[in-house]
Parts: sequence; C-alpha cells; structure tokens
Amino acid sequence: MPKWYEETNNDLDVVLSSRIRLARNLKNYNFSVCLDDEHAKELVGTISGCAKTLGEKSSQPFELCQVNRLTEVEKASLVEWHTISPLLAEKKQETALLYSHDESINIMVNEEDHIRIQVFHAGMDMYAALEKADKIDDILSEELPYAFDDKFGYLTTSPGNVGTGLKASYMVFLPALTMAGKIQRLADEVGKYGIEIRGIYGEGTKSLGYIYQISNQKTLGCSEPEIIDNLNQIVKQTIIQERKRREYLISMNGDEIEDKVYRSYGVLKYAKRLNTVDAMMLLAQLKLGMDAGLIKLKEEFDVHTLMMEIQPANLQRMLGKNITGTERDRYRAEFLNQKMVDIIP
Amino acid sequence: MLCDICGKREAKIYYTEIVNGKKKEQHLCEECAAEHTSFRLKDPFSSREFSLGGLLSGILDSYGPAATKEEEKEKEKIVCKNCGTTYEEFLEKGQFGCAGCYQAFGRLLGKTFKNLHGGDSHTGKKPVGYVSETNRIVNELSKIDKLSIQLQQAIEQEEFEEAAKLRDQIRELRKNEEHRVTSGEEA
Repeated sequence: MPKWYEETNNDLDVVLSSRIRLARNLKNYNFSVCLDDEHAKELVGTISGCAKTLGEKSSQPFELCQVNRLTEVEKASLVEWHTISPLLAEKKQETALLYSHDESINIMVNEEDHIRIQVFHAGMDMYAALEKADKIDDILSEELPYAFDDKFGYLTTSPGNVGTGLKASYMVFLPALTMAGKIQRLADEVGKYGIEIRGIYGEGTKSLGYIYQISNQKTLGCSEPEIIDNLNQIVKQTIIQERKRREYLISMNGDEIEDKVYRSYGVLKYAKRLNTVDAMMLLAQLKLGMDAGLIKLKEEFDVHTLMMEIQPANLQRMLGKNITGTERDRYRAEFLNQKMVDIIP
Repeated sequence: MLCDICGKREAKIYYTEIVNGKKKEQHLCEECAAEHTSFRLKDPFSSREFSLGGLLSGILDSYGPAATKEEEKEKEKIVCKNCGTTYEEFLEKGQFGCAGCYQAFGRLLGKTFKNLHGGDSHTGKKPVGYVSETNRIVNELSKIDKLSIQLQQAIEQEEFEEAAKLRDQIRELRKNEEHRVTSGEEA
C-alpha cells in the first residue's frame, strides 16, 4: 500500500501536502493541564479501546502505539515525519497514537487535548482530508462522550482551538518568494485574514528548504467549510504569486539558477559530509530545477520524502543506532549519494 | 556542580571554546550560557516563550469600562468547581482545566473569543446525535406544557383565534388526564 506522501497529484510544485487536525476532549475527564497520572492512564485506555471499532467502521485497520514507551530517537523520528507533535513526544504521562496502515490518518491521545485526529493528503486537497477526518470523528463521537457546548462548540484546552477545533494546514514550497524576500510581507498580509505562516516543523521553527506551513488561526464563529474556503483562497493566491516569481526568476537569471541546480545535484551526488540544513537546501534547489524543467529527473524521484528521511532521528532509526552529529553528516551524505545514482534518465 | 561564572546556579551546560587553537572549557548554567556565549538553549524564534496566557490577560485588560482594582480581584477569585482552576490561573496559563471551566468563566470570555476568533459562538459541526441543552429541556416538557407556551406566545402576538384553539386543546387534554387519574383511583 503506498503511503500518503507517495501519492501524486496536482499543484505539487508548490503545495506538498494538506493536513487536517481536529481537537476533541471527553467531558468526563479533566483536560490535560489538570489531569493526574492515574486518570491519564485510564483515559488513554478508554480511547485506545476504540481502535477495533474504528477499524471495523472505517474499514481499515488501526494500529496502536504507546508513545511514552518509545525511545527518544523513535519519538524524534515520528516528529520529523509530522506523525506526532513535539508536545506529545515530550510528555512523560501515558500517551498513545492510533494510526492507519497508509499512515494518512492518525490519532494522538492525551496531547494538549485528549484526542487530536490528524489526516494527511498529498498535494492540495483539503476537502478530501476533511472528509476522512469527519468520518473518524463521527465514529469516535458515538463511542466517547465529547465535551461540547451549544455556544462554544467543541471545548478545547486552549481558547485558540475552541469551536470547530479545526486546524487546516498546507505544507508549501516557496523558493522564489523566499529568494525575493517576500515571506515576511506575505505573512503580514495573510495575518489580516486570520491565516498564519510558519516554518516546516511548526510552531516556532524556522523554515528549512523553503518549506512553510500555511494554516487557519480562527476556529470559532466559522463553519468548517468556511475555514477551508478562506484558507484555500489565500493558498491559491500564494501559488499564483510563487509561480509568477519563479517565471520571473528564470527569465532573468535562468543560467544562474540552472547552474545552482546542477551544482546542488553534484554536491548531493559526491559530497562526503552533509548537515541537515545544507542537505535540505540542496534538495530544495533540485526540486526547484525539476519543477521548472531545468533538470530532468526520473518521475518517481520524490524530494519531499527524501527531505523527511534525512532528518537526524530518521537517519538514526534507519541505521538502527545512535550516532553523533559528525557521523550523521557522513551517513547522510552517503545516503544521498546513493539516491542520486541514475536519477537523470 | 555550580556555574563557573555566577557560582550560584547549577551548571547544566558543558561549554568548550576553541580560540586560535587554545581550548577553554567551562561549566555554565543556562542563564550565563545565554548571556556569555553564542549558545542558546531555546530557539530565539520559539514562540513558546510567549504564553497565550500573557496575551490573553492583555486582551482582557483592554476591555470595557476600566474595572476597579476590587472588581479585578473579585474576578480573579472565580474558581471552577469541577477542577479547581481559578480565573487567575487560567489567565496565566491560557489553558482551561476542564469542560466545566467554560461554564465557570464563560460569562467573562465572550469578548476574548470575539477578539481571538472574530466570532463568539460555534456555527460548525456537532457530534453525531447531539441534542442541545434547550432541545433536551423542550423534549422533556409534557404536551400540555408545550401547548401552554404556544398559548402564551399567541396571546402576546394578539392571535386570539389561534389562542382560543390552543386553550380548547389544553382543556381537552386536562380533562382526559383527570379522567385517567380518577378512573385509575376507582380501579
């Protein structure tokens, strides 16, 4: 079965993936800030107990993973794949993760909220993701007593999520807008519409490899489709701006960009040491060249997946042991060297 | 081990500096490391240092007729009966302790929500099979209660014809009920 990130569809030159997150709580347990260890254990047990029903009703099996019992590297790796949040990884209390086999659906248990349903979809298709998330949400709401209020909607730990509890985020690749120094302006502009732009690894992280997350901030007072339509409008505009910038960039500095793309390819193929930041940048250049038709690579070559694979914890998990930064850089280079073999048909 | 610079706090960072080939080792606490070296434990971009709570109290402060100190103090004393979170704690952390907190602090939050989200009531999805509080109460009313409410509304709107019909229906129902009760007693 292909994983969600291996699927291909439109707008992949700018929009890498769509993600829906629904925050839900049970009314018969205190929220995470006031939840003691004993109740946390009970809560995780109750929610994890829904795995079988979820599997039957959604006709796909769900696996259960006790996150707090994983090693640090395993947890960090799940964070790098965006499967769990840093908060869940750090938590000492009982926590769990329920996930579908293609990894497109996962449910974090006892994060900031009792339940965080996440659905991923490759490229730009937020409604497909919402539909899946809704289905899972409906199944769970029939099994568990949700904290819901007539006026405030779904009650959440943070006032920033109350109402729909919905966060829709697009992972976008914006090399041309970044090079033109337009990201701050874009962030200011979209902020007026209740949309925020952040780095690839979410809250408070810097951008790596020209990748950003664009998501809604407001969750109360708008329906789910209104939130998504608003976000889609902004993202569509961003796509247009980015493509225009890329065209301009190539018409003005085509030779220079082409040189950069091939240099990146050369370094990725032959370098002996590569740190995460540099490797992300080189891969980003390669993707830009590929999207612009400056370099022709094998169709199945997938930069987005590679970008996640070369993150520190993922590399260590692949190797099956902990290694130091320098060793990691050496192994990362080796790994990428191999990936570059035969990618130019 | 104590910090080499301040000599007060516990050293948590082992810092090695190589300048012109000379190696210098220091054991530092987080504070001194942040001040005296380029080492930052927390990413300067990290937004975690801004607590939503801090922002919330800022938003709340800017509202309405300036509350007197006594009024502020009173508000801060409001406690959620279920989990024991005080309004003050909520402002500080920016997090609710349980579903009950929404009831306890709800009255104070309308404007905060409006400022945060642009709206203060939910218009989206509801859980499957959810019955709202008002509907639940209405469902529990007897038929006579429901008709009485309609009768009251009809009179208020001066729809007397409708009111007369409703009055007759209520009378009929009452009569039947009395009949059932008395026949029940006889049996």
